[in-house]
Amino acid sequence: MTKVVVTGLGLVTPVGTGLKKSWESFIQGRDGANEMKSFDTALYKVHRSCEVEDFHLDVELENQISENTIHKYVYYAAREALRESGLLDDKESNRERFGIAIGTLAAELTPFERLLRKDTSLKDNGFDKIVAAVYPPNSITNILAKYFNFEGPTMISLNACSSGNHAIAWAYDRLVSNKLDVVMVGGGDMIPQTEFTHFHNLKALAPDKCQPFDKNRKGLMIGEGAGILIMERYDYAKKRGATIIAEMAGYGLSCDGFHMTAPHPEGEGAVKCMSDALKMAKVNPADIGYINAHGTGTPHNDKTETIAIKKVFGDHAYKIPCSSTKSMVGHLMGAASAVESVICCLVLRYGIIPPTINYETPDPECDLDIVPNKAREVKISRIVNNSFAFGGNNATTIFTKLE
Amino acid sequence: MRKRVVITGMGIVSPLGNTKEEFWNGLIGGRSGIAPMASLDLSPYKSKLGGEVRNLQPEIHLGKKGLRYLNKGTHFLGSATKMAFDDSKLPQDGSLGDQIGIVIGSSLGNFSETTDYFHEIIRNNPSELSPMLSYDVALNSSINYVSVIFKVKGPVRTVSAGFTSSIDAIEDASRMIQNGFAKVMIAGGVEQISIDLYLIFYLRKYLSGINSEQEISAPFDVKRNGFIMAEGSYVIILEELQHALERGATIYAEIKGFGNTYVGAKNYSTLERVSSVEKAMQEALRNAGIKKEDLDCMSANANGCQIQDPIEANAIQFLYGEDVKHIPISAIKSNVGESYGTAGAAQLVSTVMSINTGIIPHIINHAEKEPENNLNLVLDKPLHKQINHAMVNNMDYEGNNSCMVVSRFS
Repeated sequence: MTKVVVTGLGLVTPVGTGLKKSWESFIQGRDGANEMKSFDTALYKVHRSCEVEDFHLDVELENQISENTIHKYVYYAAREALRESGLLDDKESNRERFGIAIGTLAAELTPFERLLRKDTSLKDNGFDKIVAAVYPPNSITNILAKYFNFEGPTMISLNACSSGNHAIAWAYDRLVSNKLDVVMVGGGDMIPQTEFTHFHNLKALAPDKCQPFDKNRKGLMIGEGAGILIMERYDYAKKRGATIIAEMAGYGLSCDGFHMTAPHPEGEGAVKCMSDALKMAKVNPADIGYINAHGTGTPHNDKTETIAIKKVFGDHAYKIPCSSTKSMVGHLMGAASAVESVICCLVLRYGIIPPTINYETPDPECDLDIVPNKAREVKISRIVNNSFAFGGNNATTIFTKLE
Repeated sequence: MRKRVVITGMGIVSPLGNTKEEFWNGLIGGRSGIAPMASLDLSPYKSKLGGEVRNLQPEIHLGKKGLRYLNKGTHFLGSATKMAFDDSKLPQDGSLGDQIGIVIGSSLGNFSETTDYFHEIIRNNPSELSPMLSYDVALNSSINYVSVIFKVKGPVRTVSAGFTSSIDAIEDASRMIQNGFAKVMIAGGVEQISIDLYLIFYLRKYLSGINSEQEISAPFDVKRNGFIMAEGSYVIILEELQHALERGATIYAEIKGFGNTYVGAKNYSTLERVSSVEKAMQEALRNAGIKKEDLDCMSANANGCQIQDPIEANAIQFLYGEDVKHIPISAIKSNVGESYGTAGAAQLVSTVMSINTGIIPHIINHAEKEPENNLNLVLDKPLHKQINHAMVNNMDYEGNNSCMVVSRFS
């Protein structure tokens, strides 16, 4: 059975467009939260979010791609990842064995919302050809396929906040079974007012800053952006002489089957998900050197995630650095676990763990080593990336250095 | 040796009725589930017909509690899942634990409910809206609801792949069983009609009647001029063979093979599109380990689209050559319309019924096929034939072509 490896990465985040800028911000611990710009929040109690700033595509592309900003984010990250993998200008490959899997939550709502804000009289008025063209969600994969000449099967992963990891798991299966050679995977999301309101009225949003694992954490900060990974069969990557960034070693999936919005109090689904991922990747819990936590900053999530990590890793749990990069970029929803998977690959590459920022007051219920406020240099080779979505939809992925 | 995956339960919410029996009797009785759209005011538009679900009583399946917070699609999916569960005779008390999961396909999901919610947001003070208003607006919330009420603890996934979403979801669920992630998977699709989705299709000129032609769902017929949109939920219970045998389950059929290709990457010529569909069929046969001669019937994707129906017809003709007259072709979208993200699951359950009854439903609304179409269409009345292997074709206009081989269990 062949291994699955990562050969290219791309990022658009609230702390930087492009891998380099984003990574610099991550290790500096930059906070991407700001006053909301894309719509008026006067009637809300929360006015901040993590929006992407200063984003530009090359002028000639700007109008060509689509009216929909999410397409531009995903396009940018995909091109960056493909360039790194050496497949952007490739003419040799059988493109019918190149697939695409992208996670999203509700990015396609934003153009609809923009139109409807202009004319609120009738819902039907929110529709015109532009909106019709950006829906359904698989318009994202179709645009990527067209621009980058990927001629194999595609899927959109609609799995709320674990969509990105689901896309990665989907890709892994189709690479291992030799259906595909290469899959462009990841996620992209924006901040529709609909989702902002949903989280706001559930009282899940933090007013000022996202403080995962802090005793006074007040909720999540909603964010936007895109993360893309180029995954391929190891034998294929080797044959074409690609530089290998990491191995995607396994995954676990589970469901709490418990509640539409609250996690299982004992972290039952999260435990299964992490345990299955470790088993599939054939990695001992004691060999994990870093956990990129789901760490949303909501009271529930961080507490149950801590419980679950302790159940899976035992005493070793206290020795594993476990940070939440959501403290810097917010919760990118359908793109979150994709962006975090890119971060995991960068941690393996550079040997530096991005911190959990905004950490002020320790919480006895969240007493893991969360890498508070300052990045840390480490020598590690195996990483767990958690994503635990609303609805109890859990997905964990494992990235390792290729041995 | 890969694990074998069998079908041990089916649940149906469809324009032909809300039980397996009504759906099947409708198909073999040559009934149409298409009628003037009752749930939408279509007076400003030319296409007036739809395949709507009627008289569903979700409380019979799901109880009354909390139902009012859930949208139509969740009622469909929840009800179909309950019927599939009952049909399978599997325990529903959560005792399957993490050995049961769900993969559901949905292309257009709860878009309308989401935009309704946005309309409330801009017309009211958004921070005063009840959180229950957005309880069921995420595209995957229907599946979350099902996972909660049936206490599903294994893998749960919503797949969106345009018109092939549900057949792709069934393939994905089979794969999860083969990979050992679960013994039982709930799989299928759900879609609901709404004005938003109607307009998406209308503005893209996909619907029949847009240019004032006769509005009709007429697959492969010369007078076809687009599809008629439909809704519903078709759910199957997939089970690892040993698990099914050990509990003495009724086995309806076996998922044998799958193949898929994609036509979204460029402007493909008609010939390239034809060959792409043929490739998907060949891959499904190879994957199933059978030859084209082994197939006893085929469930066509054909929905009355001017361009795509002949592409599929040509692909089947290319695959079979002279022998094309030996393979009977059905097209149930003539009866139930085009239910996009759940269409493949609808075709699959119909095909499984054919395997179990030895009856292939006939294509209705068919008067005249194109002269270059040599297919052996099942017309006028149902065809009686023993079926061991069948193929289901599913195609998206700008995306995936997915083909599945489903076989009699032996």
